Amino acid sequence: MLFFENVKLALVAIKSNKMRSFLTMLGIIIGVSSVIAITTIGNGANSVVSKEFDAFGKNNANIYPNSSEEDTSGVPSQFTLSDINALKERFGDELRYVALYMNGSSEIKIGRMTGQFNISGIADNYMRITGVDLLYGREFTTNDVENRRDYIMIPESAAKKFFGRDDVTGQALSININNKLREMTVIGVYRPRESIFSRLTSNTSYTVYVPYTLWEDRPASVLDIYINEGYDVQKVLDKIKSYLALIHKLAPGYYVSNSVESQQATMSQILGILSASIGAIAAISLLVGGIGIMNIMLVSVTERTREIGIRKSLGAKTGDILVQFLIEAMLVSALGGFLGAALGIGAASVGLSMAKVKVSIDPTVVLLAVGFSALVGMFFGLYPARKAAKLDPIEALRYE
Amino acid sequence: METIIEIQDLEKVYQNGAIEVAALRGVNLNIHKGEFVAIMGASGSGKSTFMNILGCLDRPTRGLYCLEGLDINDYNDNELSFIRNQKVGFVFQSFNLIPRTSALKNVELPMVYGKVPASKRRKRAHELLEKVGLGERYNHMPNELSGGQKQRVAIARALTNQPPIILADEPTGNLDSRSSLEIMEIFSELNRDGNTVIIVTHEPDIAEWTHRVITFRDGLVIDDRLNQPNTTSE
Repeated sequence: MLFFENVKLALVAIKSNKMRSFLTMLGIIIGVSSVIAITTIGNGANSVVSKEFDAFGKNNANIYPNSSEEDTSGVPSQFTLSDINALKERFGDELRYVALYMNGSSEIKIGRMTGQFNISGIADNYMRITGVDLLYGREFTTNDVENRRDYIMIPESAAKKFFGRDDVTGQALSININNKLREMTVIGVYRPRESIFSRLTSNTSYTVYVPYTLWEDRPASVLDIYINEGYDVQKVLDKIKSYLALIHKLAPGYYVSNSVESQQATMSQILGILSASIGAIAAISLLVGGIGIMNIMLVSVTERTREIGIRKSLGAKTGDILVQFLIEAMLVSALGGFLGAALGIGAASVGLSMAKVKVSIDPTVVLLAVGFSALVGMFFGLYPARKAAKLDPIEALRYE
Repeated sequence: METIIEIQDLEKVYQNGAIEVAALRGVNLNIHKGEFVAIMGASGSGKSTFMNILGCLDRPTRGLYCLEGLDINDYNDNELSFIRNQKVGFVFQSFNLIPRTSALKNVELPMVYGKVPASKRRKRAHELLEKVGLGERYNHMPNELSGGQKQRVAIARALTNQPPIILADEPTGNLDSRSSLEIMEIFSELNRDGNTVIIVTHEPDIAEWTHRVITFRDGLVIDDRLNQPNTTSE
């Protein structure tokens, strides 16, 4: 009962000094809004990054020689088709996909249209594993890869640009692969995955896919691998690395791996540390806000000394006065916390939507902000409230 | 008649730096239920100190003060707050209404601290404002009321918890003569209804309204006489 009376009293006090209350809240508003904006943006960035990694496939990894142990002879450490066959034989169950990492680029000219193709060598099932949308045609089969067929998959944007339509399966085009001009047949048109990184790259070049075997006997220094579901990525990688070192007659530990899983962990750790440290700096403004509340509450107690005297003469206990001022301080800062949360979420939403990232708002964040602000108000309101509560009623009644 | 206030050898000494100032130096008196008492004295006579002790705002340094049989020295600060809330109705010279708070809310205040449920509070506050002639103005803020009206709100507030004593400190000190008259009539009426009313004043005109005049000088009671009130004055 007395609680609601006190809330009403506090609201009257806040309302009768609107400007002052607002300025007092401002410290809390700035503190809470910056903490929330930063953590929301941090979470948004984290979810974007992890989505990017998920798209690559969490079970994706690369294996390559440890550069610090670079072998002078070079060639034996690099991977060839015989490595692929050996791995397929030995790790048939664990490996979902394995290919030599091959890429190159080529000028392309069809009619009056010119452009640049970034060529990636892939094996069969690549599109399915990475979840890329194939709009027309089909992707490479084991047969296509093994028999080094001159097939190519191009993005729909390239199809539109060079052929003026979407479905260009069966069309021919020539590109340069490994210094050899090849006449390729389009067997598939795909739609590239939307990604924040794709927006950053220019639109003048197109990623196209060809069987990695088209580089013929050229060795590769990197293996592209997908591990099957249900296996511990790191354990399988370790086994593959030592096996490869064995068949290359190299020291175990010669090959290293980099899995998407570990990259993602590192990335989100960095993002977490980043947003936590910026958030901590922003939290300092909450401290400043709290001191502002303490200051204004001290002023308020002095101003209302006589009122406190009257209340005491009418039977208010020390605790009643304490609670009254404490609730006022808490209400001011909780209100500030609420406004700050709204402002912070608003700012984060604007920022994230400009980056075209879906904003996810955690309602517990708002609750936490309001609750924590109230706590700040309680902490910094305690001293002024105690000062008010301890006033001598006779002195207080005499105060002019 | 039932004794409501019993005071024996009451002393109050203030420590003012190194100097001790004796404000009350051994006061003895009893006040009975239903009395209408004026406490007089020049400033510095100790009457304000005496009133603070009567109102349980302060404690005696030595001596006994029993209010309705309760020895004030036996109670801690919070218990004294409760005693003030339940047993003393204060009326002050400068009205002491809470600013920016309606007449009704001001009257309700002692009941808030007395933990009376909200609906009961409202009903009782309305009744009391009606009684002092401000039934229509319950929603007015103190700054919208005249001095006489403010003091009537204060009287209504003093009556809320039906305290055994009503303690008025110079209740007409800030009022013009017409309002003073109205206020004193209200006190007389309250006394006729059976309330014990104690008025601290330095104005003989005001003391004339009461039935008993106690005069203080230098921390002692120097005169305690019965008075035949002249209620028809003016």
